[in-house]
Amino acid sequence: MRTGLMKSFWIVFAKEVADALRDRRTLLRLLVPALLMGPLLLLALSGLIASLEARAEKREVMVVGMEHAPTLRNFLERQTYAIQSAPADYEARLRATTLLEPVLVIGEDFERELLAGERPTVAVVSDSANQRAGAGVPTLLRLLQGFNRERATLSLALRGVSTDLLQAVDVEERDLASTQARAARMTGIIPMFIIMAVLYGALTAALDSTAGERERGSLEPLLMNPLSHVALVLGKWGAVALLGMAVALLSNLSFVPAQWLIKSDSLQAMFQFGWFEVVTFLLLQLPLAAGLGAVLMALAIRSKTVKEAQAGSALVVTLVGLAPMVSLLNPGGDAAWYLWVPGLAQNTLMLLVLKGEALTWARVLPGVLVGAALTVGCLLYVARSMRAAVAR
Amino acid sequence: MIHIDNVSKQFVARTGGSLFKRGTPQTVYAVRGVTLHAPSGRITGLLGPNGAGKTTTLRMLGGLFQPDGGSITVDGIAVAQAPQQALARMGILGDAHGLYPRLSARENIVYFGRLQGMDADAAHARAQELSRLLDMDSILDRRAEGFSQGERMKTALARALVHDPANIVLDEPTNGLDVLATRALREVLRHLRSEAGGSKCIVFSTHIMQEVEQLCEHVVVVSQGRSVAEGTVPELLALAGETRFEDAFVKLAFPQSDTPIPAPEAACAQV
Repeated sequence: MRTGLMKSFWIVFAKEVADALRDRRTLLRLLVPALLMGPLLLLALSGLIASLEARAEKREVMVVGMEHAPTLRNFLERQTYAIQSAPADYEARLRATTLLEPVLVIGEDFERELLAGERPTVAVVSDSANQRAGAGVPTLLRLLQGFNRERATLSLALRGVSTDLLQAVDVEERDLASTQARAARMTGIIPMFIIMAVLYGALTAALDSTAGERERGSLEPLLMNPLSHVALVLGKWGAVALLGMAVALLSNLSFVPAQWLIKSDSLQAMFQFGWFEVVTFLLLQLPLAAGLGAVLMALAIRSKTVKEAQAGSALVVTLVGLAPMVSLLNPGGDAAWYLWVPGLAQNTLMLLVLKGEALTWARVLPGVLVGAALTVGCLLYVARSMRAAVAR
Repeated sequence: MIHIDNVSKQFVARTGGSLFKRGTPQTVYAVRGVTLHAPSGRITGLLGPNGAGKTTTLRMLGGLFQPDGGSITVDGIAVAQAPQQALARMGILGDAHGLYPRLSARENIVYFGRLQGMDADAAHARAQELSRLLDMDSILDRRAEGFSQGERMKTALARALVHDPANIVLDEPTNGLDVLATRALREVLRHLRSEAGGSKCIVFSTHIMQEVEQLCEHVVVVSQGRSVAEGTVPELLALAGETRFEDAFVKLAFPQSDTPIPAPEAACAQV
């Protein structure tokens, strides 16, 4: 009684999926990080942005020694900034990140030196390790430059010199990024979590259906059945890839409700994560889930225990999981070879989707080809190694 | 009907070595010439001490690896040439017989039935039938993770028999079983050998002499990779000129020792 390849495939596939789904404890453990990590980080980031925006709206400057500089006070108040005096221990508090604003320090002789044309010095104090205080520095510097320019213009006007001399060139700023592209700077971490989800989902199933089967002693009886090893391996691999995709889908879906909770209005307006993104992201994961599942199985089939296999797969998991870091650390510097590296390719493509750019075949195909080649190569290796693995 | 003719198999093992030096390869002759003929309707024993090559021989029978020399046929089908057809005619309970812990006993049995080409209904019906035969109704729908040694063995046996094979191969099936479970297994095997049970060809490998004495009509004694003697239990006693089967076995298996001093393995088997 020989069974057809397709039928054997479905029998093995159905059993492996049912078996993996019954492992509730492991499933829960991998679902928690896959489902919660991304949205939580997104919320934290949005909180940070919201507080930055709130500060920009507040229009406040924190100053030490404002009483020595009535002219500067007059300028600041004309720019509709409210002046707050800084606490005495501002340096310590900046270092301890309890003070989140940079501090402007004005010397006692400011007004006298200014009137005498002696260029008084003011200090802008912040702590570059205190990121939120650091973020306020450019605004403060711009204000002070404005003050400088106003003073210079006035002096020149008094002497009858055209103020145009001060500005030889007119500078006009134009931002070409679309709203989505600007939001992508913030949401660029999402693809990393989805790639991680594929890894988590595929890893346990891949190890359990190869090394786990050997460790339990069930691989030998399994091979004593009259079915082709290719069908057996395909069935197992199908289940592994499906689980990777299922966890990726859940992780994907978790970002849909997460965006409603985003605190920053402008980020919420920019960050669009709808059904189109969910479906596209999922389709983009297919080559990754297929190729990675096969690679993990190929690594695990030579291991006698799941523990040994985990040690062996740690490198692959780390490399693929951290691949998105390459483009996070080098934003905008995408190279053509990115599209050929599993993990990095998916990350690059998902970032394009988030930026609202079109996916072309030229961009998608390299990842698909690499995924298909990995799948075929690794599965043939597993099918060939199975018998040898049992005999050892 | 199983014919194993003068099979041999060698492996390469490594010596210990040290931190900086790999162990040197060493050839291990696991099997050097085992012959066994097992017709239908008979329980044929494969008796030998630990490490005699029983498991290796049976793994070659199951097609896990090719013998270096000799041939194996099952109902006239050569295992080396048509492993899948041969496997479909055998039910093998091997040395490793792990179950899927998250599947119930029934699901474990049905899965293998389906892989043997049975349709779902037939596999379920057969699982029910085997459950009655092996007295495992109470555990049939329980997950295998909490099973005792005996329950695990019953499930593995049912799984091996699910496609009602004409040839049944059992590798040390009584390992870890208590007296009652061993007795029950013996009854089942006697039934399967009888005409009512389908006149199966049964190959039973063990290192325990009592098992062979009580169950096997024909015994092949294996020692150090070779089959050294064969016949019924009385024939083997006569051949060795002994009255106790244990003495006969030691004499046949270890001919170099003049006085039958029990080897460590044989001594263990007594307990």
